[in-house]
Amino acid sequence: MLVAQLQPLAASVFSLIAIASLLLAFVMLGSRWLNDYLIAFATESWLIAILSAAVGYYGHYPELYLIALLTALFRGLLLPYLMLRIVRRLHVDRELYERLSPSASLVVGALLVLFAFVVSSHLGQSLGLAGTVAVLALTVMLSMKLIGFLMLVVRGEALSQILGLLVLENGIFLGSQILVPGMPLLIELVILFDLLVVVACFGVLVRYLVVHTGTSSTHELRRLVG
Amino acid sequence: MTRDILLQIAQVFTVIALAPLLQGVILQWEERVQRAQGPGIFQPYRDLWKLFHKQLVVPETASFIYWTAPVVAFTCMLTVPILIPVLTNFPLPLSDMGDILGGGFILTLGSFMVTMAGLDSGSSYGGIGSSRAVMLGILAEPTLILVFVGITLLAKAMLPFVVNHLLVAQPEIYWSPAHLFLVAAFFILLLVETDRLPIHSSTHIEIYMIDEARILEYSGPLLGLLKWAAMMKQFILYTIFSNVLLLPWGLSIRGTALGALGAAVALFAKFLSVAVVVVFVETAQSRLRYFRYQEPLAASFLLAILAIVANQLR
Repeated sequence: MLVAQLQPLAASVFSLIAIASLLLAFVMLGSRWLNDYLIAFATESWLIAILSAAVGYYGHYPELYLIALLTALFRGLLLPYLMLRIVRRLHVDRELYERLSPSASLVVGALLVLFAFVVSSHLGQSLGLAGTVAVLALTVMLSMKLIGFLMLVVRGEALSQILGLLVLENGIFLGSQILVPGMPLLIELVILFDLLVVVACFGVLVRYLVVHTGTSSTHELRRLVG
Repeated sequence: MTRDILLQIAQVFTVIALAPLLQGVILQWEERVQRAQGPGIFQPYRDLWKLFHKQLVVPETASFIYWTAPVVAFTCMLTVPILIPVLTNFPLPLSDMGDILGGGFILTLGSFMVTMAGLDSGSSYGGIGSSRAVMLGILAEPTLILVFVGITLLAKAMLPFVVNHLLVAQPEIYWSPAHLFLVAAFFILLLVETDRLPIHSSTHIEIYMIDEARILEYSGPLLGLLKWAAMMKQFILYTIFSNVLLLPWGLSIRGTALGALGAAVALFAKFLSVAVVVVFVETAQSRLRYFRYQEPLAASFLLAILAIVANQLR
């Protein structure tokens, strides 16, 4: 396994990138402005691309350079651009109704990180990986997934929900890059195109939502709520 | 031994003497950033001189707390420099009285007495100031404890000298995410504790004042003591921030007089670099509504947790 025999410099680079992308997930959680979300998401994707390249360099996986390039292009440029278009067209620039204020959601997110930390350190101990970068990657992966779920739950704007989904997916991708870097190239490509389809579908659904209810907020969808 | 005692006295004296200068520099730079001339950097000394020569006016409702609070606050600020590396990077006599947590307790005691004094005379502004300061304190305290936990996990010790040595000796720990996040979390705490959150304007005597409101009832020498204690608190927190966490270099290693003098100069240079950032944050950041005070604190809490999580790598 790659993570068990890393040199200290590589380990600290990986952990710095992983933690920085977790921090960017928190930037999304703590802000109200959709533009901030987009910038944070794009930066996070670029960080993950750099991480892929670094894993490829230190672990000698040449195909990871291609993955890094594709990640930067798709997640770092194309997806934010598509979402920026949706934002421009909808004329929403911020989250209007909050179920949870930004500071409260930051604190809840911090507690989720602690939960992920406990879970992954237990896992790491039982696998004999305690104290390596694998545990950190697992923590970051789990906490980004939980933060993605939290964004899906507490945010009302349709666009923030797409971003919640994408953050969740970014978390999985980041974890997989460090934990199982030798994944077949085809799977990565499938995931990338999957994301493209997700965003396109969401774009159509959001437009349908606007036509149907007059807003882009999911608060109006209460027919099935009872 | 005598030399060490003299050095210890020099540490306390450095804090007493240079604290108003730091305040003066920050105040002047804040005005300069806003393209005003600003007061001279020695203005706080002149203010203190003026206050100590003024008459003392005591409210009729004041009790003994009114008299003791400034003295206790000032004494607390005289005690903390003994515990932390101000000039030397090795412990001096009585430095083992308390660790970082002990120093934090003493600082909090001083702040607590000022809060009591704000409530004591029964004026409405004092009440507002005290309740605001306590609210911020309640939110800042868990973060402070988490930062201490993070430092303990990082250095396996709570003594500031150990942390200092560790960071100087091992650059990979200095650049590790755990340490960087601790620095960021402590920086926000520094803004909160030195009353420089971007909530009120830099003129201070206005409706959103926090720390100033607690001491509005004071006048003359007692006000001078309180202001001096506040400046010393700022100086002490800057010392902990820069000598223990951010810039652990440039302290006197052997303890010679020249080294101590150099350390004092280096200390002030470090403070100037921290002050640039503080001034930038306080003036360039747009003012927040008062009731958004919890957001920077939530961010700081989060950073402390991230530091603890990132710590498991080692």
